[in-house]
Amino acid sequence: MAKYILKRVLRASVTLLIIITILFTLLRLMPIEGYFDNFDKVSSTQIQVKLNSLGLNDPLPKQLVRFYGQLLHGDLGTSNIYRKGVSINTIIAEKIPISVKFGLVSFALSLAFGLALGIWMAYSTRTRFKIGDRLGTILIVVVQAVPSAVYHIVIQFVGSQYAHIPMLFDPAQPVSYILPILSLSIGNTAYYAMWLRRYMVDEANKDYVMLARAKGVSSGAISRKHIFRNAMVPLVQYIPGSILSTLMGSLYVESLYSIPGMGGLLVTAIKRQDNTLVQALVLIYAVVSILGLLFGDIMMAIVDPRISLSKKEGSR
Amino acid sequence: MNNDVILSFQDLDIRFTLRGQVLNAIRGISLDVYRGESLAIVGESGSGKSVFTKSAMGLLDANGTIAGGHIWYDGKDLASFKTEKEWLTIRGKEIAMVMQDPMTSLNPLKTVGAQIQEAVQLHQGLKGPEAKKAAIEALADVGISDPENRFKQYPHEFSGGMRQRVVIAIAMACRPKILICDEPTTALDVTIQAQILELIRTLQKKLELTTIYITHDLGVVANVADRIAVMYAGDIVEVGTCDEVFYDPRHPYTWALLSSLPQLGVKGESLYSIQGTPPNLFYEVKGDAFAPRNPKALKIDFIKRPPYFDVSPTHKARTWLLDPRAPKVEPPEHILKLRKRGGAGYV
Repeated sequence: MAKYILKRVLRASVTLLIIITILFTLLRLMPIEGYFDNFDKVSSTQIQVKLNSLGLNDPLPKQLVRFYGQLLHGDLGTSNIYRKGVSINTIIAEKIPISVKFGLVSFALSLAFGLALGIWMAYSTRTRFKIGDRLGTILIVVVQAVPSAVYHIVIQFVGSQYAHIPMLFDPAQPVSYILPILSLSIGNTAYYAMWLRRYMVDEANKDYVMLARAKGVSSGAISRKHIFRNAMVPLVQYIPGSILSTLMGSLYVESLYSIPGMGGLLVTAIKRQDNTLVQALVLIYAVVSILGLLFGDIMMAIVDPRISLSKKEGSR
Repeated sequence: MNNDVILSFQDLDIRFTLRGQVLNAIRGISLDVYRGESLAIVGESGSGKSVFTKSAMGLLDANGTIAGGHIWYDGKDLASFKTEKEWLTIRGKEIAMVMQDPMTSLNPLKTVGAQIQEAVQLHQGLKGPEAKKAAIEALADVGISDPENRFKQYPHEFSGGMRQRVVIAIAMACRPKILICDEPTTALDVTIQAQILELIRTLQKKLELTTIYITHDLGVVANVADRIAVMYAGDIVEVGTCDEVFYDPRHPYTWALLSSLPQLGVKGESLYSIQGTPPNLFYEVKGDAFAPRNPKALKIDFIKRPPYFDVSPTHKARTWLLDPRAPKVEPPEHILKLRKRGGAGYV
């Protein structure tokens, strides 16, 4: 197991190193306007002075090494346009907590409701009219088929018109958290329900379930100890990624409710050509995805004993 | 033979509903299983062997129902059981099962120990360390060496034959009276097959079990069975002791089945195979279900379903050939040869 994890960590580090290098090199190809908020007004001498001070006229390998060094110290650089002269760490430190707060609450809710719905649906496939399965399927199909922009707006409209919940986010009013959290949870709820139902139905038809029934285990105990447990294995892989991705916030929901989170930051940075900020944010996205996959793999190895690639024991 | 009936099927009808159509999987089977015996149910795929035995454990798929008849066990009619609670008094405790594919019949994510312990706790009333001890003993009883360590291992760390031993250990840990072995060796290679059959036989003697084997491998049957029931199209067409069915078969289907044994083939000639296909059980079967594939079928075979005719007190067959009015139809050559060879060892 330790070897398995170590191997994954090493692989992830190599991937990350490659991404950082490519990202940095690509951004050096961007127009140098991206380092100035007043490019039209400064003289070419002033431009050269600034580029020199930023080290951007150095040979690329030297710049790269310096960038690695910076990153090792946890320094993502300084914004030049979005908030001139402010360190990017400061910028995101204000935004991440907001996104994470919304993200984690909605993650917890969607996991709880999604799994409950999935279990109910799977159970209901064995009943006569399959009511739970049919209702759940309707929800899932609607959520998956209708573009999320549409149901987010419906939630906002219905919530503010009929339930008189504030339409926009207001930190002073806790009730204003409800609609964005609902919007953020509903997609994942449907997702977890859909997959858990599917995996549980798959597991329920396997031979070992028949053997467990034949040895006299009650169907309740089989569902809990065998079917649910085994059906969770493929889902567990996605949980770390889901948690980590809350760092990035949601572009659409945050702008809809005007939440000052991470969601819109990358788009703004690109629009305003703030090269260092773009670089930092893309890097964070990459780290989040890679760590999500890495932790997912590790979780899999913990819950599934068949994954122990380090030991070649096999059958005797 | 011991005449103490432990399990008795009477006129059992089982139907499945598939896409609105009704399939008559079991068509009026009556069969007594005697205490302590070893009964083999043979027949081709789809003849209803598994469904028939699963009905005694309430393990039919959700779309299958017992449409008529009785299954008597210990004074209770299992066919009338409706709730899971009733079935839990039977499953494992009274009747246990070993299934065909040991590669899939264990939960891959639980240690084999936990899976045996589950049965121990349910049926032996033990808990905690005592249950663990009993589970380790169960592993040792089925011939698994180093049971303490094997207890902690997962199914993927066992070979096919070892897994089947674990499955047997689970069944035994339930302390059943009847053990149903549903093609217990089909998925195993030949040397392992023999070991597993030997194991089941040893346990049967030691624990005074009644065993029901389901198989299409006549070699297995010859090795283990006291009695044989031959199934065709959801019906038992012939039942008798091992000797009777092998050396004096009476039903044309049994003839055909035995004739297709490769051991009876003559070198250089192609092997015998039964013409045609089994009847579609979505439609009502008229007369003898085997008649359309039987080149020597009588007219009445297509019109009226034959009753059972007794050949001997232990041997009966459902064929009009046994009616005193029937013309004399000789079994195929192969079968006559078998009859002459009688007593000289099985196939």
